[in-house]
Amino acid sequence: MIASTPGAVAATWAHRHLLDVDVLSIADLDLVMRTADRMAAIAGARGRDEGASDGGAGGGRDGQALRGLNVTILFYEASTRTRVSFEVAARRLGAEVVNVSATGSSVEKGESLIDTVRTLEATGAHVLVIRHSVSGAPYLAARHFGGHVVNGGDGRHAHPTQALLDLYTVRQRLDGGALATRSIDGLLVGRKVAIVGDVLHSRVARSNLWTLTAAGAEVWVAGPSTLVRGFEAWAASGVAGRPFHVTTDAGAAIRDASVVMTLRLQKERMAAGLLPSLGEYTAGYGITPERLAAAASEALVMHPGPMNEGVEIAPEVASGPRSVITAQVANGVPIRMAVLSLLVAAGTTR
Amino acid sequence: MTGPGGVPSTRSGRPGRPADLDVSRAWIVDPESGREGPGELVVRGGILEALTWLDGRGAAGIDDRGVIATPGFVDLHAHLREPGNAAAETIASGLAAAAHGGFTTVCAMPNTTPPVDGPAAVQAFRARVAASGSPVRALPYGAATAGRAGEQLAALSGLAAAGVAGFTDDGSPIHAAPILASLLAYAGMLGLPVIDHPEDPSLTAGAEANEGVVATVLGLRGWPAAAEVGAVARDLAILADVVRDEPRARLHLTHLSVAGSFELVRAARAAGLPVTCDVTPHHLALTDEWIAGARRLAWQALGGAGSGDPSSTGDPWSSGAIVAEPYDTSLRVNPPLRTPADAEACAAALRDGIADAIATDHAPHSAVDKDVEFGLAANGISGIETALGLVLELVDAGRLSLATAIAALTTGPARVLGGEAGAPDGIGGAARPPLGRLVVGAPADLVVFDRSARWTVTRDALLSRGKHSPLLGRDLPGQVLLTLAGGHVGFEAPPT
Repeated sequence: MIASTPGAVAATWAHRHLLDVDVLSIADLDLVMRTADRMAAIAGARGRDEGASDGGAGGGRDGQALRGLNVTILFYEASTRTRVSFEVAARRLGAEVVNVSATGSSVEKGESLIDTVRTLEATGAHVLVIRHSVSGAPYLAARHFGGHVVNGGDGRHAHPTQALLDLYTVRQRLDGGALATRSIDGLLVGRKVAIVGDVLHSRVARSNLWTLTAAGAEVWVAGPSTLVRGFEAWAASGVAGRPFHVTTDAGAAIRDASVVMTLRLQKERMAAGLLPSLGEYTAGYGITPERLAAAASEALVMHPGPMNEGVEIAPEVASGPRSVITAQVANGVPIRMAVLSLLVAAGTTR
Repeated sequence: MTGPGGVPSTRSGRPGRPADLDVSRAWIVDPESGREGPGELVVRGGILEALTWLDGRGAAGIDDRGVIATPGFVDLHAHLREPGNAAAETIASGLAAAAHGGFTTVCAMPNTTPPVDGPAAVQAFRARVAASGSPVRALPYGAATAGRAGEQLAALSGLAAAGVAGFTDDGSPIHAAPILASLLAYAGMLGLPVIDHPEDPSLTAGAEANEGVVATVLGLRGWPAAAEVGAVARDLAILADVVRDEPRARLHLTHLSVAGSFELVRAARAAGLPVTCDVTPHHLALTDEWIAGARRLAWQALGGAGSGDPSSTGDPWSSGAIVAEPYDTSLRVNPPLRTPADAEACAAALRDGIADAIATDHAPHSAVDKDVEFGLAANGISGIETALGLVLELVDAGRLSLATAIAALTTGPARVLGGEAGAPDGIGGAARPPLGRLVVGAPADLVVFDRSARWTVTRDALLSRGKHSPLLGRDLPGQVLLTLAGGHVGFEAPPT
């Protein structure tokens, strides 16, 4: 549970796995942010002088944090940015990286998740990054794996590293970078954050609700009734008691917001009877320049990707001056480096 | 036989042998007579020879917190899995588990492979029961439709002649309304109840957990209350039509789990419809927040005294109730675990006499079907051995009286099977005593348990092959000391 202990000193990282953000304290979040700052420095230095990321020289002690360790990336769902950024992060820390996808592996032959996890441990995996379409699957993997498990996205449930990189991006970019060295404790008090779109199916929205409310933000989630279903009841008790708002009025959510986060709309939602048409969705919830004009003047625009430009976000907004979408992708590397190095340093006994 | 604490023991001891129980002093609960109090039981050669109510000095030291003797429990709803899935359960292991739980009669669901949809399958079932050596009475239900496919009526007359206790396609709802109408009429003609599992499958495709805050936070696909309430409404509307022409029709709705269902049953009963229903121990005591990792019993999650709020004290995260890992697949069950308010509605239905019985829906599965991702796991809880313990937790918490709880495990289910006439005589052999009653002169069919003795639920303690209990590691009250089924020892606790 995120405990907002004012002035809490970041002690040490006590988590063997990263399965969800709900267990991270403010001190944990600060530790991730500060470690990512350090990793960004290495990433920047190495990014300029390096061709193949073979985990070789450079980066000092951090660049060797995972030397001799195997990071296996087990993805049961398609991904570009998350997979690549975990892979780059692991290599920058000196790890050996193995990629496994559900297609072309024994998973296709019906191998159970437990057997797959045991197999990967036997072939030397120390860290397992797992993405799965079934909510909660990483918990099952963690119960049967001797090393560390990182949730790379599970069903509708959680996408912890996305929420961390989003928080990092907000801290880095808000107010022109004036908050970039601040603690998460109270960081976003008095700030409004709008999360607009298909909240119901979004693990990104759920994880961000935990971390953004922990940072003190006034979070508004907005979408058509069919795509925010169930969130009113959650808002009534709050995220571990921290209130947030739910609305079907995108304008109300965006008005004076410091951050406008939009979510990918899966085109299957029409077939499932949740939306009449794409056009109707875009008219009500697409982030257009007109809609964005109601936000705070320096508001950040975010999207976890991949985007449907012209549906949930207008192309000129996606590539506009307020968009930090590319920064989100870039920050995925130092955040994942931070997570991997913190987990490994914590050891497997806790 | 009695030790100083009134703990009974049998002389013959071994399971399956006729029991001799000299004198068992206990708090006796006899729902048939509506009486409970200190008493003595004498069993010789398997026959209940005497039941003597005690008072004055003779009753000294006996109270309703200690050793309790009641009629053997009757389970209206259990899955014994054989034939077809012996890795999950066999008839022998299932009946051993039943006796361990205090049950002396178990109604077996016909969704085996192949299903029990004709007389030959009933004969095969009986042969397996006989071969198991268990004295527990196993009553087969017959499938409602051929192959449980929901299209054509099964061989109903043949099944009835072979002695089935009722008809059901449990596991699948009876989907087609015209089939349900025919079934109710035909089964009524045959004098047997129809047991329906009310669920509208169009609302539950892919559903993982009760639609509500817990499912929202955990990202689980919601299983709406409407899937059950809508099906109950449809079933009752069909029943109302059918009974006009076939007044012998009887409908039993199994494992009702949401408040709205009981409102409909209450109204139907008030209108005189022949409908009965049961609730499960897990829907009475557990809630969806267990999937999140909370381990509070349902009433512990209800709003505090005087709050006037019938809903919960808040989600388990807000109230700091998370103590275990989320997504334990032993909690995946159909219908899903619901809210604290729904659990309270289940208990209220028992208190008000709207629910007739507590049925376990004992649904053992093998590890292959449970040790998987939550959303891929088979539905079902291995629950016949923990039923009494959970029910006693309700009694201890003041949610249910001991008399009501025991009636719901004995005379209540017997009435469901036998209709107004009471327990059926033809079922299970003429030499057997009536269901759910203490009958002097008949083979002893009773359970003795120590309400205050707690036992720890472990994989080894469970005699069922289904080891996926959400209660593993937890202590439950009411250790069963002795189960006598048809005059024979079904279970006896090892001497301590």
